[in-house]
Amino acid sequence: MLEISNLKARIGDTEILTGLTLSVNAGEVHAIMGPNGSGKSTLALVIAGHEDYVVTDGTVHFMGEDLLALDPEERARIGLFLGFQYPVEIAGVNNAYLLKAALNAKRRAQGEEEVDAFEFLKLAREKMALLDMDPALLNRGLNEGFSGGEKKRNEILQMAVLEPRLAILDETDSGLDIDALKAVAKGVNSLRDPEHAIVLVTHYQRLLDYVEPDFVHVLSGGKIIRSGDKSLALKLEEKGYDWVREAASA
Amino acid sequence: MSTTAIDTSLLERAVGKLPTDALMPLRLEALRSFSETGFPTTRHEDWRYTNLAPVVEVSNLWLRDAAVGIVDATVNDAAMEYASELASRIDAYWIVIANGIVHKDSLTRLAAHALRGFDAVSLAGDDLVQPISGDDPMTRLNTALLRDVLRITIRADNTLDKPVGLLTIDDASSGAALSQTRVIIETERNSRAEIIEYHASAGGHRHFANAVTELDLASGASVNYVRIQNRDTEHFQSGRLMARLHRDSNFRHTAFDLGGGLIRNDVDVDIVEPGASVELYGLYLASGQQHIDNHTRVDHRVGPAASTEEYCGILGDRSRCVFNGKVIVHRGADGTDARQSNHNLLLSEKAEIDTKPELEIYADDVKCSHGATVGQLDKTALFYLRSRGLDRDEAAQMLTRAFAAAVVSKSTVQAVRNHVETLIDQRLRTLAGGLS
Repeated sequence: MLEISNLKARIGDTEILTGLTLSVNAGEVHAIMGPNGSGKSTLALVIAGHEDYVVTDGTVHFMGEDLLALDPEERARIGLFLGFQYPVEIAGVNNAYLLKAALNAKRRAQGEEEVDAFEFLKLAREKMALLDMDPALLNRGLNEGFSGGEKKRNEILQMAVLEPRLAILDETDSGLDIDALKAVAKGVNSLRDPEHAIVLVTHYQRLLDYVEPDFVHVLSGGKIIRSGDKSLALKLEEKGYDWVREAASA
Repeated sequence: MSTTAIDTSLLERAVGKLPTDALMPLRLEALRSFSETGFPTTRHEDWRYTNLAPVVEVSNLWLRDAAVGIVDATVNDAAMEYASELASRIDAYWIVIANGIVHKDSLTRLAAHALRGFDAVSLAGDDLVQPISGDDPMTRLNTALLRDVLRITIRADNTLDKPVGLLTIDDASSGAALSQTRVIIETERNSRAEIIEYHASAGGHRHFANAVTELDLASGASVNYVRIQNRDTEHFQSGRLMARLHRDSNFRHTAFDLGGGLIRNDVDVDIVEPGASVELYGLYLASGQQHIDNHTRVDHRVGPAASTEEYCGILGDRSRCVFNGKVIVHRGADGTDARQSNHNLLLSEKAEIDTKPELEIYADDVKCSHGATVGQLDKTALFYLRSRGLDRDEAAQMLTRAFAAAVVSKSTVQAVRNHVETLIDQRLRTLAGGLS
């Protein structure tokens, strides 16, 4: 589904991704872990198409398409979703209005009929109940005055409504209390089936207690230096990142 | 700077062609004082960024016809259709002022409503029994060429069940046109009203509309005032609203400039008794070569009283806008609370905003703040929206609309908000596109 090969990217004069290779198939859940500054968020933003990052080498294919040739909105419409580490607040852009516009943009692109207001509300309310979200949040400005936990739940709500083929969640677990973490995990697990894939970018192993990954990768210095199964995450938690860096350079 | 000046001999002859009625002494006095100064030029501090040369030009064109008595104020059917179309969208007691003349049928229609709590009369010629005020050049010109005055009285202790709508429509289909609209609104004690002032224009020739409104709020009166300017982008306008606030009165003014070629608005608020509160909100949306200038002035003569002001602008292409907000807290006006802000969104590198909040404080116990911002669309927000599948234009429009929404939401009339939102959307489709 997602094929990244020898990806190099920079922002300004700083090279952040230095030759990253990763393959994600439908039905899989991957966790990408790594210390601060290793390039985790850059990877997520490059895949989503952030213009500040310049890809200098390598290829990214998604659903058989050359992802790097597509605009961010085109990437979204073929089924890519990025859950932001810092979701933006936009007063005056209604949360429901945006979500409905996003859903219909995708449906149009995929040749499906647009949903009307009634169908949309039914769908949104159903997903909100799953995430234990206050339905009133739907009629507020986008993330306007939301708590940190509410913002992250709102990202997961968008994901649940849009049902992307591949969801990349950038530190969605950071700053969440245990109830919010469980709710987010529930949302992520609901997307988990043979058709969909999920990439969890995370600093800690905490979320992985609730969403069990099939693969765990360690990112350091802009490339993946080690891959394994979920036991790798536990080992990292126990021994720290220095252990894997030393092992990699040995 | 242009050296073009008003042709005063043509102006004199045009005034001479008007009926010899009770208004004539006022006209002649105003003609004399206007002729001394002519139109303000960019040498005047208050007009520094707004060059009236095109207005002078169209005025002279019209005066040439008026001086020999060949202009009339009738409007064509299209203009009247506009009025009924607007009335179907915004439910209000509509009064039409066409080319400066109060449309008598619209008054007759209102007379049928017996218990509506207000009076509206046309004070043409001999019916004018009260002095009219204002001593700036534009008001003098308005008085010199005055043919009709609309006077509205909101009766004491009444709350109007729907807004009073004033549709000022100008028709320049048969030649260059000049109109002088004059409205006097008096609110009696403890009355409450919503007033919509709507400016529209039609016709392919050039047009300059010069409107002056006086508004007096008696003690305890409350007015929600909405001004919507939706003129043709080739047409010019100067509008002045002078409001006087008595004890414990409330005045909220929400202004939308969505059209017009060269537009200048002046809002003067005079707080003469304590306990009054004033809120001034404005949105100006300019593209192409539009020029929109908003000047406001709030005089806090006594305290306690509060004024809040927030104007927001969206500028594209080569448009140019001006904001000047003056707040004067006079000696002894203790307990004044005055806040003012102006925010601008520039969608083009060639657009220009000249913003100047001014605060003059001569009292001790006051709370005042002011500030201005100029910025572009937020890149992070744009990327976020695009990552959700919205294309660049759609995302830019959504953010621009959100910026405008802060002002739209201030209007208390739902139908006005809906109508203004529709107009803004139409404009944004051409304005925000491809500029993010």
